[in-house]
Amino acid sequence: METKQGKPTATPFKVVRLAASAALGTLNEIYYKELANAKQQGKPVIWITSMTPIELVYAFDGIPFFPENYAALCSSRKVAEDLCKAGEARGYSQDLCAYALCTFGIMFEKRGAFGEPPPDPDILIATEGACATHPKWWEAIQRHYECPMIIIDAPYTVDSETLAPRQKAYYVAELKEAVKSLEQATKKPFSMEKLREVVSFSDQASELWDDIDAMRAAIPTPISQIDVFTCLFPLVTLKGTKEAVDFYKQLRDEVKARVDNKVGFVPNERFRLIWDLFPVYHNMRLLNYFAEFGAAFVTDLYGNAFSGRLDSSDPFGSLANRYLSFFMRSASRGKAELYKKRAKQYHVDGIVFHSNRCCRNFTAEQPDIGAILREELGLPSMSFEGNMVDPRGYDDAQVKSKIETFIEMLEARKYPKK
Amino acid sequence: MMISQFDEAYRNRHKLAEGWEKEGKKLFGYFCNYIPEELIYAAGFITLRIRGSSENIELADAHLPSICCSYMRSALEEALKGRYNYLDGAVFPKSCDMTRALYGIWKRDIKLPYYYFLPVPGKSTDAAVDFFIEELQLFKESLEKYTNKKISEASLKQAIKLYNENRALVRELYNLGLRDTPPLSGSEAFAVLRAGLVMPKEEHNAMLRKLLPGLSSAKGSPDGKVRLMVAGNTFETIELLQAVEDSGGNVVVDDIDIGSRYYFSAVDENAEPLRALAERYLRKVPCPCKHPAEPRLYHMLKLAKEYRVRGVILLTQKYCDTHLYDRPWLESSLKNNGIPVLVVDHSDTGWAGGKFKTMVQAFIEMVG
Ligand code: SF4
Ligand code: SF4
Repeated sequence: METKQGKPTATPFKVVRLAASAALGTLNEIYYKELANAKQQGKPVIWITSMTPIELVYAFDGIPFFPENYAALCSSRKVAEDLCKAGEARGYSQDLCAYALCTFGIMFEKRGAFGEPPPDPDILIATEGACATHPKWWEAIQRHYECPMIIIDAPYTVDSETLAPRQKAYYVAELKEAVKSLEQATKKPFSMEKLREVVSFSDQASELWDDIDAMRAAIPTPISQIDVFTCLFPLVTLKGTKEAVDFYKQLRDEVKARVDNKVGFVPNERFRLIWDLFPVYHNMRLLNYFAEFGAAFVTDLYGNAFSGRLDSSDPFGSLANRYLSFFMRSASRGKAELYKKRAKQYHVDGIVFHSNRCCRNFTAEQPDIGAILREELGLPSMSFEGNMVDPRGYDDAQVKSKIETFIEMLEARKYPKK
Repeated sequence: MMISQFDEAYRNRHKLAEGWEKEGKKLFGYFCNYIPEELIYAAGFITLRIRGSSENIELADAHLPSICCSYMRSALEEALKGRYNYLDGAVFPKSCDMTRALYGIWKRDIKLPYYYFLPVPGKSTDAAVDFFIEELQLFKESLEKYTNKKISEASLKQAIKLYNENRALVRELYNLGLRDTPPLSGSEAFAVLRAGLVMPKEEHNAMLRKLLPGLSSAKGSPDGKVRLMVAGNTFETIELLQAVEDSGGNVVVDDIDIGSRYYFSAVDENAEPLRALAERYLRKVPCPCKHPAEPRLYHMLKLAKEYRVRGVILLTQKYCDTHLYDRPWLESSLKNNGIPVLVVDHSDTGWAGGKFKTMVQAFIEMVG
């Protein structure tokens, strides 16, 4: 791992693929086929923002479409930059969220990740559950497609422990309003029984995800951050289906076997890190660069954002609990406390901040979160600038040199020369 | 009463506030257009809008990335420099992602005795109003706990009356802009109304009462200036309005968050106070963080017609997401209604005056 000068050097290694990736590939294929055929099948295509209760979509037998997820796909297929530019050509600022710009590109240019555009929305659902910009770009989408749009108002609690009955009641009322609008738009009656079933599948998938997440605390950590990001797809898009549950059972068993046999994804794990927050979809391999120095990411809050326990005996109430006390909505102090807890549980040596230049919502607090972790835990951090989707302005060489400096520092702290 | 007195009151706002503090008055800071100031006033505070400045950012860089709006960065800079030490407390509404995030950042980095986060709903439905009433009740109780004094219904009604008076007086100022030859320029009007953000309403009212009669009888000189509207969000740079005037234009009306979106719409004095406040704040001309967005467009179209403007300067703070999302739609909707639009990216820190002037001159030539 070390050269004569004491500088760490990168050691390429062979990535062992998860057996579950094959199943993931199949799930992806089936989903996109169903999406493409939705209209023929008479199923409504419902475009939703993250933190929209996807459970409602499945309860109405709709096909959810996540522009954010799809923009990530466009990014990994290297078509996002062009699509973002097309959005900008219509007057949208380059400073806006690249998920949105990419979606605008898709909408105006009528093309997508594989050439063909995704099907037009029959219904739109947006919420400020995660981000105040969501209803804004949904409004723009709505003006373009002129289809029905539902905005689910999600009161912010910020100090998340203060979720109060009145906030819950308002949100539950919003959900019930949404159900009414969905009944009108789909011309199908709402079935509580169906919602309970969906909620139960959603809960099971989340429980499995939480198990997998907890197993990342093992030394060595069993799976890579790339695996975590790619395996999120069912939790984001298929949550509420039996298929997602089956997939996560398989994944959980595989990860558990690795833990039981002390198999890590990096051959020689020397450092354990936290990743904050967004993936760099146009350059996922960057994560492997850390691994080449024996540095493994053992936790992140991004994946967990999509997991949340529910209770099928109280679907609406538990949806309210889950989506309103979602930890990403808390103030910087709350997020820092979560990381503090995890830093101990997961035996963490440092934190890496992806300063996502198009996302003010989750980048604004990074300096303070870093400061809290440094001051209260002595946890070192590094930060690099990027954009989750749009590769413009990203300087790979510069980022890598930052990583090297960071690793050097970690090396000196954790393995000091006698 | 001279307009320059309003301008000085604004420019010396920190010094004046420090003076009030020494006199034993209690001062309270708030952000944005969605905080019912009447409630805070009734609890015994002077309400002050937290503002930024045009100074360069030095201290805030370590706390807030450069991709955040210059308004919030600059306001934080002022606080880090200790200029808001006179505040007893600050309240942040849920408006945009910045008002949410900055609550936590201020709370950690700026030591004030009291902080509050007000979860303002994103809609204006009946359910949203009912919910907001409950939130206001809680905010009221929190203020009462902090001051150790009950807020009586009478004091709340009196606060509503006072703030309504202020709105009505400022509205008279706006009415002057309706004339063919307004007795004051856009930059002068702006100086008058922005002073009202940072001083006790009683005082602003008293100053307006002295100013208005003289203006009402004054005859503006027919100067042939091109009538314009400025729309968008907050700015410090009054010089940009002067640049418009130097270029043969005059801003006669606005749709900005410290202008008509703040001063228009009164609170119903006959209704139950918390309900009246909830309704007024959720049903006033919306800022883009609220839904639906259309009422704001109608407000702009109505003003454009009433004030007979020849064009709109659509000015957006760089990195202000909610405004940037609406911009292409507002621009095309205005144009479809026959109103020319000049789109401007704005930042108070490092304002590019020369570039702005060139753009404005060309625009005025085109629409004039
Ligand atoms: S949270 Fe950030 S990345 Fe997500 S939609 Fe909002 S701006 Fe975009
Ligand atoms: S509305 Fe815009 S200018 Fe105002 S605080 Fe939010 S981002 Fe900044």
